[in-house]
Amino acid sequence: MAKVVLKNLTKRWGDFIGVDNQSLDILDKEFLVLLGPSGCGKTTTMRMIAGLEEPTEGEIWIGDRKVNDDLPKDRDVAMVFQNYGLYPHMTIFDNIAYPLKVRGTPKADIAPRVQKAAEQVELTEFLHRKPKALSGGQRQRVALARAIVRTPKVFLMDEPLSNLDAKLRVTMRAELKHLSRALKITTIYVTHDQIEAMTLADRVAVMKNGIIQQLGTPDEIYNDPTNLFVAGFIGSPAMNLINGSVQDGHFVTTGGTKLVRVAASDRAQVVLGVRADDMRVAEEGQGDIDVRIYAFENTGEATLLTVQWGKQRVIAKGDRHLRKDQDDVVSISLDPDHLYLFDPDTGNRIT
Amino acid sequence: MRDNTLKYLLVLPAVLVVFATAIWPLIESLRLSFTVGRLNRPGSLDQYLGWENYTWAFSQEPAFWNSVWITAIYTVLTVALTTLLALGLAMLLAPGGRFRSGVQTLLILPFAMSPALIGVSFRFMFNPEFGLFDAFFGVMIPPLADVSWLADPILAFAVCVMADVWGWIPFLTLVLIGGLASVPQDTIEAAQVDGASGWRVFRDVTLPQLAPVLAVVIILKSIFSLKTFDQIFMLTNGGPGTATQTLSHYIYFNGMKYGQIGYAASVAWLMVIPMIFLTYAYAKFVFRKD
Amino acid sequence: MTGKRKKQVARAIQTALILMAIFVMLVPIIWIFMAAFKTHVDVYQLKLFFTPTFANFGTVFDAPYNLGDKLLNSTIIAFVTVVLAIPIATMAAYSFSRFRLRGETAMLVVILATQFVPAVVIILPFFVMFRDVGLLDTRLGLILVNLAIVMPFAIWMIKGFIDGIPLDTEEAAMVDGSSRLQVIRNIVLPMAAPGLLTAGIFCFIIAWNEFLFALILTNKDAVTLPIGLALFKAEEGDLWNLLSAAGIIIMLPMFVLALIIRKYFVQGMTMGAVR
Repeated sequence: MAKVVLKNLTKRWGDFIGVDNQSLDILDKEFLVLLGPSGCGKTTTMRMIAGLEEPTEGEIWIGDRKVNDDLPKDRDVAMVFQNYGLYPHMTIFDNIAYPLKVRGTPKADIAPRVQKAAEQVELTEFLHRKPKALSGGQRQRVALARAIVRTPKVFLMDEPLSNLDAKLRVTMRAELKHLSRALKITTIYVTHDQIEAMTLADRVAVMKNGIIQQLGTPDEIYNDPTNLFVAGFIGSPAMNLINGSVQDGHFVTTGGTKLVRVAASDRAQVVLGVRADDMRVAEEGQGDIDVRIYAFENTGEATLLTVQWGKQRVIAKGDRHLRKDQDDVVSISLDPDHLYLFDPDTGNRIT
Repeated sequence: MRDNTLKYLLVLPAVLVVFATAIWPLIESLRLSFTVGRLNRPGSLDQYLGWENYTWAFSQEPAFWNSVWITAIYTVLTVALTTLLALGLAMLLAPGGRFRSGVQTLLILPFAMSPALIGVSFRFMFNPEFGLFDAFFGVMIPPLADVSWLADPILAFAVCVMADVWGWIPFLTLVLIGGLASVPQDTIEAAQVDGASGWRVFRDVTLPQLAPVLAVVIILKSIFSLKTFDQIFMLTNGGPGTATQTLSHYIYFNGMKYGQIGYAASVAWLMVIPMIFLTYAYAKFVFRKD
Repeated sequence: MTGKRKKQVARAIQTALILMAIFVMLVPIIWIFMAAFKTHVDVYQLKLFFTPTFANFGTVFDAPYNLGDKLLNSTIIAFVTVVLAIPIATMAAYSFSRFRLRGETAMLVVILATQFVPAVVIILPFFVMFRDVGLLDTRLGLILVNLAIVMPFAIWMIKGFIDGIPLDTEEAAMVDGSSRLQVIRNIVLPMAAPGLLTAGIFCFIIAWNEFLFALILTNKDAVTLPIGLALFKAEEGDLWNLLSAAGIIIMLPMFVLALIIRKYFVQGMTMGAVR
């Protein structure tokens, strides 16, 4: 068990920058999620921690030891791979036992520990089979068992749920959370799925173009995004980002309609961020601004209204009993307590 | 041991073997091609001669030009016939799946057969007294009933081509079946739904997507056709006269039978030149994804 | 014609053409098989029905033909060639597949190219050298030159198989605590085993069927089976029943080997060629 420290870590391939001079402290026993779109450098960061990729510059510390020059086998980490990386020619038992065997664990210790790991992931009845005979979810469990059979300093998980179907993913997510709370081992988890990040993490590092955009608890990155990228990336549906200006302490649309009061000084161009949940839908004329419905969707638990907002489209969430049709006009009000203003040039948050 | 050292140690033995068994003899035969190079004359292997071997081949040797000509026609004919027939057979076998695995197994058999043995068996099949094909063609095409195939320059050449095509069809068919299987089925179905006839589907959808595989197959077959030796040696031994003498056979005869190693090496190097172009084209395809 | 009827006709034509192709492909092989069990007289009468005899197989192993010696030569030469080539090729193939090496593409292209060099080109210097060092007509000499044709092929083919092993699995083993050499021994070799077997059998067939090298480098002691075929050219013409029996001895083991790796045959043969 240990903390992981990255100091000014950089990875370049020729001119391409994968990770750009990033520093990050991951606390002991913390569950940290690296979240971002593909190509943002999150997997590269994790592979450098595992020792599968050599950093171009910077230092990696695990516990009290600088591990830059250590081979993967000497870093005392365990990793779960996206495609599981199971050994197809070995039985499930041998797969789980391999990290113990190769590290010279006494034979007598191996069987009980494999048994225990298999129990933790509910795999005991499949131990004599080969990976080929298992379903995707079961293979996922084998990969997990292989990681927890030892007590490594750090768990590394590279999109471990992304190859599962949607339903299984939800189940496995809960199992993973339960397991990680029970084991209390520092975990670094890479994903592009914000729900996984929100549900699993103690802290989330949102990455883009090799740079950490924001590091914070799930609450913080959802409710307090520091820039346009984080605001747009977190939440489903994504936060609406509406162009406009601030005049006399109010947000004014590009069409000239004066809307809610905002706590910002006047400026010619801002981007207003507002989540679909924080919009109220009312009959025509009874809200702040009248808009025409582009598409009306009923998800069962709520209704989603995509409305034409000048040249932009904005998504508002309506009551689940609301019934409207395409081209109807509704009126929308914004919740003044949950608005975010961004500078359109730098992308940074203003309020 | 760090990977950076290990990775070079791992390739070292292979590189040494390839160098010693392939690169060195290539260079050495280039050197020999500029020497007098007589097997029975000691010292002549180091006796520098300049370009004379090459100019001799070009200006004084009708037999050289004859073998160039024979090799060229042989290559064009065998590549064209083998590719077309194999493509046809692959098309027959690819859809439906009926017979496919069984026939694939059967197709492996001729391919595991030594080319020398193929040569022998075709000599057997075209024997004028008791050859099966000789008898068959005699019945089907009466003017051919009384000919002695291997004694006639043109017919002997035709038998060589037949033996080659017979021996290579299985391999090309297997490769093309693989190529056809990798053409996405939905593009073919889309064309069918769009109203294309079977022939149009093949021409407009299948063939363009098969083109890279077809190109590789044609290049590979060209290389092997250019090198042909074993079969011809056993089938006709270049005869009658020099009617089926390919370049490889011509080089063998000059180098081994007449002991003119230097001259043989120069002709051998002339043969390497088209190989370089073909190999370059082939390598382009192999590396196109990297 | 209705659509259904059309389809039936098309199917019938397809079946007929396939059967015809099979027939043409198999007839020469079957004919040789039959001739091997015929007497000298039956061969000359183009007989379809005859009383089979095993005498030809006895004759070819007796003096003056002594096919047994050639069989032994071919077996030893092909076997040793494979035993030398496969481990060396596997090491190189792994490195080419998994690492970036300086001049890697150049090396791979050269290795690929040597496979296409006409055998007559490289055999001339070998003949001269072997004559000087006394390797003419020896098994060792033939094994060495066979490596020239087998190695490039084996490297490319095994590289293809190793390319197909997911990198994930190897990385998992490294994180699990294996050194690179343990990864190769515990993970890569077992997973590549079918590929190595396929490559080994391919190389064995190539070395077994090799003709030109043996023709030039041997004359008595190290003569291989394909060259042994020439023994049956007698003054009065070819001894077809004996030639056929020898032919069966050459091709039957190769048929068996080829069928063992049937599943990987096409994949292996086209490795690197058609991707």
